[in-house]
Amino acid sequence: MSLASLGGALIEETNLGHEEQEEILSRFVKPNKDILILSILRERPMCGYDLIKEIYKRYNVLLSQGTVYPILYSMEAEGILRAEYSRGNMRTKFYSLTPKGQEVMRLKMGSMVNALEYLLSFLKE
Amino acid sequence: MMLRTCVEGLDRVLETDPPPASVLLVTGGEGTLKSSLVLAMMSRYLEFSGGHGLYTSLEQTRESHVRNMESIGIRCHEHLHIFDYRDMRVEWREQSLDMFRVTRDILDTYLEKYRDLMIFAIDSLNALYTLSPKADLRRNIYDFLTELKDRGLTSILILETDGGAGNSGEKFLSDGIIEVGVIESTEGVKRYLQIRKMRGARHQMEKHHLVVKPGGLEVLGPIYG
Repeated sequence: MSLASLGGALIEETNLGHEEQEEILSRFVKPNKDILILSILRERPMCGYDLIKEIYKRYNVLLSQGTVYPILYSMEAEGILRAEYSRGNMRTKFYSLTPKGQEVMRLKMGSMVNALEYLLSFLKE
Repeated sequence: MMLRTCVEGLDRVLETDPPPASVLLVTGGEGTLKSSLVLAMMSRYLEFSGGHGLYTSLEQTRESHVRNMESIGIRCHEHLHIFDYRDMRVEWREQSLDMFRVTRDILDTYLEKYRDLMIFAIDSLNALYTLSPKADLRRNIYDFLTELKDRGLTSILILETDGGAGNSGEKFLSDGIIEVGVIESTEGVKRYLQIRKMRGARHQMEKHHLVVKPGGLEVLGPIYG
């Protein structure tokens, strides 16, 4: 189960209002932004602008430029992401996962999904 | 770790260190080594303190700063994070960004990652003002400087003073002002460093000779006119 669908499942099973659902998503997305960024970049390379738009589209949470760009730069410095210019566009850097990033992603995703499944198993009862 | 020992000879001018969490302005005209002075101070500070530092650059790229540092023999410490706004400014050029808010978020993101972030710099306040909404600018500056003090970080703000900049209250609000500049005399052109103000610290008032030497910057004796 992907993180996006897991978050969706959590929301679908509640009878909360729209604002409350947004609040729950926001509380989920912000502390887990690193892994959500990795999970989106695993699908296709993106620049910071596209990433912020994609997170908004999926989770209805608008992360600040001042949050996303430092995370991208730190992950690049740590060898988790690689940044490349696309052909014909030397102004915009597109980020993708390195092999180390794939491994980091796999481990973090596994831990998070396990933790969420554990949490949901009690909430469903 | 003391700030006044971060550049060789700076302790000639700054006799005691400013209190922790001070907000310091480094002012001067174009090409007076403001950025190099701040980067040298931060790098050395981190070398001795072991913590992390964040230098945010609104105009020059990280690569350009690193090149400049290398060209005058300043080592960029691995815990010194130089964040440049280039990518953000290119990708969001169609939108007007609230750079005060963005800069706060950048600082918060680094503070979240590096709990031992001790020192922060902005290069430059002029660019921050230019890229920010003009309405409530003085209020934004007041709030921003107050928040920096509340975060408990030593903050260094670079202000280019060519063209009469620096009348937005930052000089009054800051705890210290270090001015760098050039003096032309019959002996030639000399760079100088002068402490104009430093709350909670003892300092000399004279302009002191600032030189680039192998291995970085050095503050020499006073320049008498």
